[in-house]
Amino acid sequence: MPKETYMAGCAATANGAKLARVEVITSYPIRPYTGIMMELSRMVAAGELDAEFVHGEGEHAQVSVTQGASASGARAYTGSSGVGVAYAMEVYSPISGGRYPCQMAIADRAYDPPGDFGSEHTDVMSCSNQGWILGWAETPQESMDNCIIYYRIGEDAKVMLPQWQVQDGYFVSHIPNKVSIPDQEVIDEFLPPYNCPHALTPQNPTNHGPQIFPDQGPAIDLQRAQAFLNTPKVIEQAIADYNKAVGRDYTPWLEEYKTDGAEYVFFLMGGHCRTARFAVDHLRKKGAKVGMVKLRFVRPWPTTQVCEVLSKFKAVGVIESQTNYGGAMKGGELQHEVRSSLYDSPKQPACCSFMAGLGGEVISLEEFYNMAKILEKMAKAGKAEQYVYWVGFDNGI
Amino acid sequence: MADVFEVTIWCRGVIQDMEGRHLSLVLANAAAKSGKFVQAWDNYADLPDRVLVPLRKYCRISDEEIEMRYVYENNNPSLVIVMEEVIVKGIDILRGATKGTALVVNTKRSADEILAVIPNKDLLSAIVTVDATGIAGGTGLEALDFLGSEGGVEAVSVGVAVSAPLAGAATKVCNLFSLDNVVATAANKAGVKEGEKTAVVKKL
Repeated sequence: MPKETYMAGCAATANGAKLARVEVITSYPIRPYTGIMMELSRMVAAGELDAEFVHGEGEHAQVSVTQGASASGARAYTGSSGVGVAYAMEVYSPISGGRYPCQMAIADRAYDPPGDFGSEHTDVMSCSNQGWILGWAETPQESMDNCIIYYRIGEDAKVMLPQWQVQDGYFVSHIPNKVSIPDQEVIDEFLPPYNCPHALTPQNPTNHGPQIFPDQGPAIDLQRAQAFLNTPKVIEQAIADYNKAVGRDYTPWLEEYKTDGAEYVFFLMGGHCRTARFAVDHLRKKGAKVGMVKLRFVRPWPTTQVCEVLSKFKAVGVIESQTNYGGAMKGGELQHEVRSSLYDSPKQPACCSFMAGLGGEVISLEEFYNMAKILEKMAKAGKAEQYVYWVGFDNGI
Repeated sequence: MADVFEVTIWCRGVIQDMEGRHLSLVLANAAAKSGKFVQAWDNYADLPDRVLVPLRKYCRISDEEIEMRYVYENNNPSLVIVMEEVIVKGIDILRGATKGTALVVNTKRSADEILAVIPNKDLLSAIVTVDATGIAGGTGLEALDFLGSEGGVEAVSVGVAVSAPLAGAATKVCNLFSLDNVVATAANKAGVKEGEKTAVVKKL
């Protein structure tokens, strides 16, 4: 029987890792993801989880140990937040290039300056081109489930890619919510032990990560790109299997919330979706034709799904809890991806970014109402007056 | 959006981290037993891991789902509980509170002695004094555990020391959690009952 309980995202995610039977855990403390490692260290100490627990001397070492553990055939698990994610940056491409399907839990956090514990998507979004599978959870439950599902995706022989399993710091990681913990036997059936095809072992010496000649580079990168082309089908199958085995109703790519008859939508990911749902509920009662579209994966980016779904609406407000200063749209990164996805669509909605939730600021219901007003105007006019609105600073928002 | 009843707990950094956290959990869990929607959580926005710093723990109770769970602090507490009496002096423990707020203080002193150092005491509808430390016995430091902080889950029983009598005392000025449900939720059941029995309520 599944166990129903209340847990914050950190504890729920640790339970996900336990259910996934991770074999090597590497840690280095930084808020807000620390709680995941606190809980896992307790489980290991109490004998509830049979895993090696290695404490790195910094995030670079921590993630390097993860790479080594994965290379030797272990199901390896690590995590970080904010500047910790940045400090390990050098190791990300070797891990995805070496095709080590380890997992890194991220409870996202703003970068410095001047130093802030709050949630922001900038940390891991600034690494999004490093060849890792990347997606956000909205709730502790989704974070726990994603941990298990991501291993199944990453370890698939057609994929063999590492995964960033992200939840919003504090909003998801620290605030308890309902969590249903599946039975171990169900997860064991869904996620068999990791079968590493080329494990490092003295019995069969192999060379990992050697220096190469320039003309060998493109072939290796093409393989990594092709792995991403193989990933969508594996994701769809894994989520369908998980839904069936555990009794969930996750959509693989985009969840539409009250989009029937909607003319304009909020497009976002992570914990702020929860507030967006309440905002949509209240606005719908007042007759506003608003809905929400939640993004579940950033890498691989669901290009055709984004195009199909967003083409149905007259206006799209991309809520960006991260920055990409000086980029094409002068705001965050998501609008670039959204607009690129819509480029071949015969029916393109007006599109703008809302910069909101930076530094971990809570996005209030009132701010969602103000964003909806702008989207309503955009839907009527058929175009965006501005590419970017800074919520709380721009006129009328 | 439904009204949300806010409880703010003041305690001391590190040494009362667990008991403060447990008090918010006991009250929330007791209210949940009667069908309320609840939230109990730690302060996050500042870094409360320094010994003896004034520290806040929070609780929200509502008849309907709490929509704004992400707001970091209670902006308008209707019940304030002070776990260590010296905190009442020099800190605006009633920040954000409006008229009609109740205050519970862990102290051997009289209500008047406490009120004398609270400049905005006109906001209070009642003050409850209880010697929670005396009832709990010991120093309160026997049970220190941090696994339940930072998004983790409690590894030890909830409500063993000063949190138990304080929760019992709080039932005298708040009907959102009953004494029975608080007793059912806290580990130190005798402590809860003794706190409720010996608490002195002064209506203002």
